[in-house]
Amino acid sequence: MQKAENFKIEDKVRIVLVGNPNSGKSSLFNVLTGLNQRVGNFPGVTVEKKVGNFKINKKLKAEIVDLPGTYSLSPRSEDEQVTFDYLNDDNRTDIPEIIIVIADASNLKRNLLLASQLIDLEKPAILALNMMDIVERNQQSIDVEQMAKEFGIPVVPINARIGKGIDKLKEAIGSYKLPPFKKFVDNHETKDALDNTLVRYEKIKRIVEATLKTKGESKTAILTKKIDKILTHKVLGYLIFLFVLFIMFQAIFSWSSIPMDWIENGFLVFGNWLSNVLPKGIINDLLVDGVLAGLGGIVIFIPQIALLFTFIAILEDTGYLSRVSFLMDALLKRFGLSGKSIIPLLGGAACAVPAIMSARTISNKKERLLTIFITPLISCSARIPVYTLLIALIIPADQQIWSFNLQGIVMMALYLLGFVAAIVTSWVMKTLVKSDERSHFIMELPIYRAPRWSNVGITIINKVKVFLFEAGKIIIAVSIILWVLSTYGPGDQMVKVDEKYQVINQTPGVDLSLSNEQMASEKLEVSYAGHIGKFIEPAIKPLGFDWKIGISIITSFAAREVFVGTMATLYSVGDEENTASIKQKMARATYPSTGEKVYTKATGYSLLIFYAFALQCMATVAIVVKETGGWKWPIIQLVYMGALAYFSSLIVFQIFS
Amino acid sequence: MKITTLAECTTGDRAKLNGIDDEQLSVQLFCMGCIPGETITIERIAPFGDPIMISVEDSFISIRKEDAEKMRIEKV
Repeated sequence: MQKAENFKIEDKVRIVLVGNPNSGKSSLFNVLTGLNQRVGNFPGVTVEKKVGNFKINKKLKAEIVDLPGTYSLSPRSEDEQVTFDYLNDDNRTDIPEIIIVIADASNLKRNLLLASQLIDLEKPAILALNMMDIVERNQQSIDVEQMAKEFGIPVVPINARIGKGIDKLKEAIGSYKLPPFKKFVDNHETKDALDNTLVRYEKIKRIVEATLKTKGESKTAILTKKIDKILTHKVLGYLIFLFVLFIMFQAIFSWSSIPMDWIENGFLVFGNWLSNVLPKGIINDLLVDGVLAGLGGIVIFIPQIALLFTFIAILEDTGYLSRVSFLMDALLKRFGLSGKSIIPLLGGAACAVPAIMSARTISNKKERLLTIFITPLISCSARIPVYTLLIALIIPADQQIWSFNLQGIVMMALYLLGFVAAIVTSWVMKTLVKSDERSHFIMELPIYRAPRWSNVGITIINKVKVFLFEAGKIIIAVSIILWVLSTYGPGDQMVKVDEKYQVINQTPGVDLSLSNEQMASEKLEVSYAGHIGKFIEPAIKPLGFDWKIGISIITSFAAREVFVGTMATLYSVGDEENTASIKQKMARATYPSTGEKVYTKATGYSLLIFYAFALQCMATVAIVVKETGGWKWPIIQLVYMGALAYFSSLIVFQIFS
Repeated sequence: MKITTLAECTTGDRAKLNGIDDEQLSVQLFCMGCIPGETITIERIAPFGDPIMISVEDSFISIRKEDAEKMRIEKV
């Protein structure tokens, strides 16, 4: 940050957004930037960095950086360290910077502590008092001018939720003049950090008494207390949580089927059109059977991923997720975890990578390590494509149990299985990992509020973007490699198959489409991909897997959903008419030697279990290396989950066959 | 018997915080507004007797029983 004495605003300014957790920081960020924002990382660490752009007035443009929420500038966690380091970095001098410290005005004293510490950094700062609606509802009023005088910085009342006061805030930025700095509390006058905090509170208390007028009693928490009586009830609380989970998974499975059908049909129509429009040949094959088939396999799962993130975003935004932590702490503590582990564990149902990153809020090292270790066992959204395909393959869509869709029930069972495996693993690990660090569970429970739909919407868009582009890149690359591997083969085996069928096809009375299908499958068998798959086939045969599944297991280490793309490519390569959907093709697949079906119930369930347990994700391995600071834990995790998957699938296959 | 720590309180009790006998805990709780002299209300106790949900001013904070044992209070 620029030295204060050089401060001069010309045409661009950087806004640094700081505030307590739950103070409405992300609301303000979203209201200022809209969709004009991007998510990245702070250099060297995996803490999420949100940067956006907006216009202050006709001449002045602003870049805004959202720092992780913190209660004070004495960092306790890595997130808070990031905020601390960013604010104290004097090397960024490209453009002038103004700190906006956002404070929840309905909870002034606590929020002003951070503001007072920021003032003592002696850098340009503006105080934004958020949640003025609650203040008004409590029949309170704040003397903003008096407060600005006391703190020595501009104070702007806002309501970020509905965008009120934003113009005033922009005005305050545009017309910012460097004030004479005065220390709020002189560090030399206090004996230690704790004393410093208490001295600050003393002073803040006086300011609040002078500026906050209260007519009635605070009503902020009354409704929250009433809701908590139900949602954290010793029996009802757990039942409601289970019910929420149940609805969530039923919804993900059934609501998303309509847009998924549209996408599936859209890709088929487009694929056929493209295949007809382009001249026949290698480029045509590569685009239609390689790239487009792989791309279709990922785009189709966007509805499900969006729905899952919608649920998680709403649960978090309303304040319910922290109640779930509160309810689960006593249980999770027994397994060596913390109540806060529920957030990574639930987030793991979306994607293990951000979930493992969110384990940073757990301050105890052992609890954090166990959470990281077990999070990939929770079924993530990348497994949804695999589950969906396999479930649809082995269970008829109309099969019901007590009027519930059986497919949905199996889906939920898989999620439960992942959760149980995670918990049991943690319980075993608890005794193996030694630690003498004390563990706390200090967490703020925000008051209940209606979800901010624009926040929820922006979250979904950001998450889907990351999934589509990050996973999409890998999937397209893998699709092309696969297409090459399955189109070419060693020696002249491919040519021989061609010659053989040229003769067969000229035989009078032969069923051409049948013989073409047989040719495609024989060609695939002699391709490079077929050779690799066959090489590992003996190892996976006891699980009920053939060499095609073998190829898919190898390629889907990149990301689990690649399994579907691989299947799409494997079963459509060499096919004249690209119209049958992948599911139908898999359902028709047989072993050439015996004519038996490949995808029986036994193989299907075995494969489902394999994907539920195996650590088939490069990105997860990478993030665990980063988060645990070495290769030890990710390797243990990879071997453990691999063994768990292999032996569980073995047992399941033997039971069902 | 006189109640002297937060862990001994029951739901609905109100108590004045006198001090926290743990530095690490103090650092965390102080910056969340839980400081000596403030009145703490026991809002809820989770199903297995742990953790405890307290409120200070208008903030709700959850805290484990073992940490509540280190918080010296005076019932009001």
